[in-house]
Amino acid sequence: MIKIEGLKKRYKEATVLDVPSLQISPSACFGLVGNNGAGKTTLFRIMLDLVRASEGQVFFEGEDVSRTEGWKRRVGSYLDEHMLLAFLTADEYFESLRRIYGLSQEDLTQHLEKFRELFNDEILNKKKYIRDLSKGNLKKVGIAAALMGNPVVVLLDEPFENLDPSSQNRLKRFILQEKTQRNISFLISSHDLSHVTDICDRIVLLEKGKIIKDLVEKEAMVLELNQYFDQ
Amino acid sequence: MFLEFIKWEVLKITRSTSFARSLLMAVIIVGLGLLLLSYVLMMGLALRPIIVEILQEENAVLFLNSVLIYFFLFEIIYRYFVQGLPVVELESLLHLPVSRSWIIRFLLIRSFLSPLNLIPVLLFTPFAVTEIAKVHGSGAAFSWLAAVYLTSWSLHWLVLWFKQRFDDSLIGVLVIFSVFLLGSGSAYFGVYNLGEMLQPVFSFALESYLPGIFMLLIFLATYFLCYSFYRKNAYLEDLSKDEGIRFANQSLGLFSRFGQAGEMADLEWKLIIRHKKSRTYLMLSGFFLLYGMIFYANPTYQSEEGFSYMFIFVASFITGVFMLQYGQLFLSWNSANFDFFLNKKDGIAALVRGKYLLFIAISCLCFVLSVPYVYFGWDILLIHLATFIFNLGITIHMVVFMALWKPKPMDLNKGGVFNFEGVGIAQYFMVIPLMAGPYMVFLPFAIWINDYAGLLALAVIGAVGIFFFNPLTQFSIRRVVQHKYEISSSFRQEL
Repeated sequence: MIKIEGLKKRYKEATVLDVPSLQISPSACFGLVGNNGAGKTTLFRIMLDLVRASEGQVFFEGEDVSRTEGWKRRVGSYLDEHMLLAFLTADEYFESLRRIYGLSQEDLTQHLEKFRELFNDEILNKKKYIRDLSKGNLKKVGIAAALMGNPVVVLLDEPFENLDPSSQNRLKRFILQEKTQRNISFLISSHDLSHVTDICDRIVLLEKGKIIKDLVEKEAMVLELNQYFDQ
Repeated sequence: MFLEFIKWEVLKITRSTSFARSLLMAVIIVGLGLLLLSYVLMMGLALRPIIVEILQEENAVLFLNSVLIYFFLFEIIYRYFVQGLPVVELESLLHLPVSRSWIIRFLLIRSFLSPLNLIPVLLFTPFAVTEIAKVHGSGAAFSWLAAVYLTSWSLHWLVLWFKQRFDDSLIGVLVIFSVFLLGSGSAYFGVYNLGEMLQPVFSFALESYLPGIFMLLIFLATYFLCYSFYRKNAYLEDLSKDEGIRFANQSLGLFSRFGQAGEMADLEWKLIIRHKKSRTYLMLSGFFLLYGMIFYANPTYQSEEGFSYMFIFVASFITGVFMLQYGQLFLSWNSANFDFFLNKKDGIAALVRGKYLLFIAISCLCFVLSVPYVYFGWDILLIHLATFIFNLGITIHMVVFMALWKPKPMDLNKGGVFNFEGVGIAQYFMVIPLMAGPYMVFLPFAIWINDYAGLLALAVIGAVGIFFFNPLTQFSIRRVVQHKYEISSSFRQEL
C-alpha cells in the first residue's frame, strides 16, 4: 500500500534520513520507534509531502505522493498542533472539515460519537478556541480530525504524549477497534515502547535516519527493543 | 470551499488576541488608504490640465507617454516595500484534501485585490477619456489603457515573485536600488533619457492593439511565474538552504561593558542576525543610508537661503530608520521567549534597557556612516546631527511608547516563505506620527526665527530627552512590568 524507494533527506552535508526501501501493507498497525533525532517525524513529513525529499519517492497505492494529491482524501494525519486551525473552536473545526470532506451532518455526529469517551466532555460544545486548549486536548482534536472522511491510513506522531493515563488506554482501545472494524491502517511513531508494542504488529527502529531493525514477532519485539534502548 | 477560506480569514482576524489594536490600525489604514486613493483620483482628473496648462506641452499624450516609464519604475519601488502576500499557516492546510495549487491560487488572487492595483485605473482613466478619446478616438483610448493597466498589473506579479525569490539577499537590495537610480538618476544627471527611449512603445498602443495584447501575454506569463514559484515552494521547510548559523560566534564586544543590559543587547543582536525577518530590517537601515542621494543631490530641493524642510524628514530617517522600523515591534521580537526574561531577576528591565542600547548603537553607526553627506554642504551635517540627537532623546521613547500598546506575538521561526507577519502597510503608516514629532519642534522656530534656530531647538529638546534618559526608560520598564501578565499570556496564546 505504501512503498518507499531510495528515500534520502539531506540538510546541507548531513543526511538525516536514508531509507532505501520500505513497504507497508494494508490494515496493519505500523510502529516507528527511535530516539530523538532518529528521523521519525521527518519520515512522516516526507510521506505526507510536507517536506521535499532530496532523493527517492514515496508511493501511496501506486501514486507518487509528491506528484498527485488525490491520496490526501485517503490519508489522515496528525503530526503537531500546527495542523489545526488554532483560531476556530473544536466544533467549528470539525464542521469545516465536514464540508471539505463532503460528509453529511449525520456522518459527523456519528464520527464524533465514537470519540465521546476520549473527549471526556472537555472538547465539544465548549466556547474555547483550539489555541486555548491544553496540549492533551489539542492532541485529541487532532486525532479525531485525522480520522475523518474514511481514511485508509492514518499517520500519528507521538499520539500518546501529553495524554493522561486513562486517555492513553482509551486511545489504544480505540485504535485497535478502528483497525479491526474499519480496516484502517495506523502508522504510529512513539517513544513509549509499551504502548506501541501493545498495539502494533510491526515495528521499525530508526537510528540516525537509518532502519536498523524491522520486527514482526511480538515477543522478540519487546525483548529486542528493550535491549536496544537499554544500552 | 472558497467561502470557507474567506470565512477562516475573517475569523482569524476577528479572533486574534490583538484584535483591538488591529481594528484601530485597520480603521486608520482604510481611512488613509481612501484618502490617498482619492488624491490619486484627483491627480488623475487634473493630469490633463497640468500637462496642457501648467507645463504648456502641446502634445499631452506624447508627453505623458514619455514619462510613463518613470511611473512604472516608481511603482516597482512602492510595490516592493508595501506589497505582500497574505500570511497563511500552510501547515494547517497542506494535510487536508485541498490541492496545493488551489491554496496558492487563492492566496495570489487575494493578493491581487489590493488598492495598489487601483492606482493606475484612477490615475490614467480620466486622462484617457478626456484627452486620448478626443484626439485619437475611443478605440485608441481603450487600447492605450489596456496596455497601461496590464503593465502595472504585471508588475504586481513580478514584484510578488521578486520579493520572495530574492528576499534577504544582497541581489534584491541591489536590484531595487538600481531601479531607484534608473528612475531618478537618468533624468537628473541627463546621461540618457529613458522616457524618450520608451515613449514610442506607449505611443504605438494608440495605433494598434499589439502592445495591449503583448502586455496581456506578459501579465499571464508573470502570473504563472509567480504561481509556479510559490507552488513549487509551498513546503514547510525554508527556501534558503545555505543559511546555517553564519554569524554563529559573533558577539558585539562593546556591549559587554553595560552589564546585564549589555548582555541583553548582545542577545538581541544575535536574534536579529539569525532571523531572516529581522535581518531585513537591518538591511533596510543600510538601504536608507543611501536615501539621501535622492534628495540632497536633487536640484528641486535646493533653496536660496536655509534648506528644504524635507531634509528634516530625510535626515530623521537616515539616522533613525532602524529604531523606527524595528522598534515598532519592540517586544514582539521576543514573543517566543518572553517567559525566559520573565523568570530572570530584573530580566524585563534588562531586556528593555538592552533594546535601548541596541537602538542607540545602531543609530550612532548610521550617523557616523552618513557623515560623508557633508559633501552636499555643511547644512546637511548639521541637520543630521540635530535629528540624530532628537532621535536619541525623544523619538526613541515615542516609538517604544507606541509599541508597548498591546504588543502582538510574532513567530520568527515559522517557515520563511509565507511569513510576512508584522511587515506590512501598517508599519509604514505608524511612522507618520513619529515623523511628525521633529516637525512639531522644528517648524515654529524655523518659521518665526530661521531654519538654524529650528535645528537648534531640535538638538536642545533632544539633549533634554537624553538628560532624562534614565527616568524615561524607567517609565517604559514600569509599563512592561505592569502589563507583564497580559503581554505574556497574549504571547503564549497564539500557536
